[in-house]
Amino acid sequence: MLKLFFTKRRLLLLSLSTTVMAWSLACTKNKQEESKGDSAANKTKIFQYLRTSAHKSLDPMKQFDSASAELIDNVYSKLLQYDYLARPYKLVPDLLETMPVKQKDGLTYHLTLKKGVKFIDDPAFKDGKGKEVTADDVIYTLKRFADINVNIKSYMLIQGFVAGMDEFRAETKKLGKAVDYSKLEIAGVKKVDKYTVSIKFTRDNPLAFYPFAFSGMSIVAKEAVDKYKEDFAKHPVGTGPFYIKKYSRRGKMILAKNPNYYEVYSPMASKEEEAAGFLANKGKKVPFVDEVHLPLIEESQPAMLKFLKGEIDWIGMNKDDFAKMAYKKDGVFHLKEQYAKNFKMYTEPGLNAEFFRFNMKDKLVGKNKALRQAIAYALNAQEWIELMRNGRGIPLNTMVPHPIAGSENDIKFDYYTQNIEMAKKKLVEAGFPGGKGLPPITIEYRATSKSTRQDFEFIRNELAKVGITLKGNFQTFSSFLKRVESGNFQMSSAGWGADYPDGENFYQLLYGPNKIPGPNSSNFENAEYDKLYETSRFMPNGPERYKLFSRMSEIVKEEVPLILRWNVLAFGLYQKRVKNMKRNMMMDTPFKYLDLELNNKKAH
Amino acid sequence: MLTYIIRRITYMVPILIGVAALVFVLFSSVGEDPVRVALGTHATPEAIAELRHQWGLDQPLYMQFLDFLRQIATFDYGRSYNTGENLMDMFKQGALISLSLTLIPYLIGVFLNVSVAILIAYYRGSWFDRYSTFIFVASMSISYMVYIIGFQYILAFKFNWFPINGYEEGLAGMNYLLLPWIISIVVSAGPNIRMFRTVFLDETKADYVRTAFAKGASENSVLFKHILKNAMIPILTYTVIVIPFLILGSFLMERFFSIPGIGDTMITAINNGDFPVIKAMTMLIAIFYIVFNLITDILYAYVDPRVKLS
Repeated sequence: MLKLFFTKRRLLLLSLSTTVMAWSLACTKNKQEESKGDSAANKTKIFQYLRTSAHKSLDPMKQFDSASAELIDNVYSKLLQYDYLARPYKLVPDLLETMPVKQKDGLTYHLTLKKGVKFIDDPAFKDGKGKEVTADDVIYTLKRFADINVNIKSYMLIQGFVAGMDEFRAETKKLGKAVDYSKLEIAGVKKVDKYTVSIKFTRDNPLAFYPFAFSGMSIVAKEAVDKYKEDFAKHPVGTGPFYIKKYSRRGKMILAKNPNYYEVYSPMASKEEEAAGFLANKGKKVPFVDEVHLPLIEESQPAMLKFLKGEIDWIGMNKDDFAKMAYKKDGVFHLKEQYAKNFKMYTEPGLNAEFFRFNMKDKLVGKNKALRQAIAYALNAQEWIELMRNGRGIPLNTMVPHPIAGSENDIKFDYYTQNIEMAKKKLVEAGFPGGKGLPPITIEYRATSKSTRQDFEFIRNELAKVGITLKGNFQTFSSFLKRVESGNFQMSSAGWGADYPDGENFYQLLYGPNKIPGPNSSNFENAEYDKLYETSRFMPNGPERYKLFSRMSEIVKEEVPLILRWNVLAFGLYQKRVKNMKRNMMMDTPFKYLDLELNNKKAH
Repeated sequence: MLTYIIRRITYMVPILIGVAALVFVLFSSVGEDPVRVALGTHATPEAIAELRHQWGLDQPLYMQFLDFLRQIATFDYGRSYNTGENLMDMFKQGALISLSLTLIPYLIGVFLNVSVAILIAYYRGSWFDRYSTFIFVASMSISYMVYIIGFQYILAFKFNWFPINGYEEGLAGMNYLLLPWIISIVVSAGPNIRMFRTVFLDETKADYVRTAFAKGASENSVLFKHILKNAMIPILTYTVIVIPFLILGSFLMERFFSIPGIGDTMITAINNGDFPVIKAMTMLIAIFYIVFNLITDILYAYVDPRVKLS
């Protein structure tokens, strides 16, 4: 039956044609690879960097996510920026000619702009030619940053700092969306001349300038905002080192060099960095690369394959990549030999502190200091880092992460280290010898992932050794926040990333008036700590301030409103052809300072 | 038939209201709070209240639901919480990209799978049938993710036959789509061929086939005029109903191959609590699903004259 239709000849033909079709599809050459080769031949320097998540908005005032900031920092400029190489992190002028100049009253500063800096050419401007940045643009930017109808997410960074700014914001709330900035002023912000703005602060405050280096405070032009309206979020018009040549939120974004960019390369290099060639380009105009290509690759496998193939110049290194490609020996991190031939690796401490919080209002853990101390003695942060994070972190002795002034690098302080005997002793003191009579303690986690559960298991086992039973509650991020903010918890995993690189940003986490709904989710209240915080808050960094930090650290250790855990170490890989690479945690994408050696062939 | 179509379209209204209610209740009660996700841990109470107000989330739930129904009726779903993009623009753009990823392998797959299924059905019981059954059952047992990771690693990374991932508009984008297409075809082969083979086997045993041969009909005629046509109803149901999901793309494929289609957008929206995106996509897909269901029913009548649409 049906034999005639399926003759051997027809069958052979069918299988042959299928094979040929599949083979011809498969043998199509990678055109991207070829075009890459062409660009190298033309001596065009194209830096390839992958975005791991799509940005939300390129309107500086409407974003507060790192994916958006990575792009905004490259197409816009701010009044101040962080020095690329200096550690601890240090503010330096960006659009400003010099650092702000303090006036006689001690509260007012004059900010003078560099002359001749222009926005990129854009139809928003008269004749399509970019206009010069002036004091009017700075004032417009400050007003837009303070406008509640525009900026909801990041205003808290400057709240209370500038005279009259909070009142301006309150007024914009009353007026709604149709605010005419020409009819509404910020009392403390005045135009002095075409290039100078005077800003009066509410008090002498060394923290007040950090917001001026934040991507949300990038200088924007009223003409562009008015022209593009809602679409301003995907049509940036800035003065940055690059402009957007091709916009694609979820595809490949292309940045091209702004030929009129003003900055000259002159970072503060250490002697070691100078010897390592970081100043080879000193005195030259940045950026050094012609284009930056930014494909969006959300999965780590294809991202790493592209890096290994030489199609990506710089990539972050997750735990699994590290386990496969690197190792730690005598406290030093190395790339395995087969990878070290082609790639380089960097390590840089992050600007975050991870800890466990106690709810000081909880009837059990909040009211029993000895119990909290017992838990602190029972835990071993170093072992946890080694086993659960491949050693990629540093235990914290104070609340301030290592790269920030006022950290344990500046104040010598010893925090708890694991001591089982002391933990047992404290448990007796707490009224629960050997854990007898102690009900299980619940810890809240803000994720439900496998790795979170593994972390919990580790901690649970450590506490079990002294007789403490720990239960884990794993939930979504917003559920976690709701639970913590309602004060309905005993213990929670927690962390804080620096809004700005200053110790104050971390010590505020235990300041009494900041208790829930503020950032002090421990609801910790201690009169001495609060007084020390208030005194130290507006002091410049130095021995006097560090003495206060030291005493605050003693109180944190004694009262244990939280248990300090660790400071993450960021790891990354880059191709050997990349020059000037140093991870700056306040500048996630320093493309303008990076250079490429064109004759260094692809890695793979 | 017109009456039937009008009746079916009328049925759409309560179905869509039901879907809307389900989506609304699900994401209002158990989904992530979009305001908290957007503002993160450093949010002030003032910022939380203001954003809730700007997004209309401080309105009573019934008002929010009525507004949702208005959006469905007017096809004006507003803008994404996260990106501020117009949702209909986002859908149009993403749907075309997702279709470019899914449509070609779907068409090739249907053609290849039906052809191979006929072939296997013809040689039923032979070594060819047994080996192919083994191969296709084995291929069905392997996870979709393994195909993606394996093909990407071997064909793109090791052999350098394809780009590892990426996307470009227009014909240049073909280069990036070839590997995902091949994976889709390979993945769909196992379940589809197994199912189509069963359908064809059922038909070849039918009385009308024996009668047709008894009347002296040729093998080609029996195959294409009788068996293929009769097997078309289950095949149509299976293949046409999949079409709305082609627009949704393939989340895994889009993610691993960096193809900016709807699938990945939808998953990102769910993770971020971007309710407007979820609402718009779910409702549009529901509408497509109902429409294609109707088309399937109409096609039945053409394929099989015994089916009456009354």
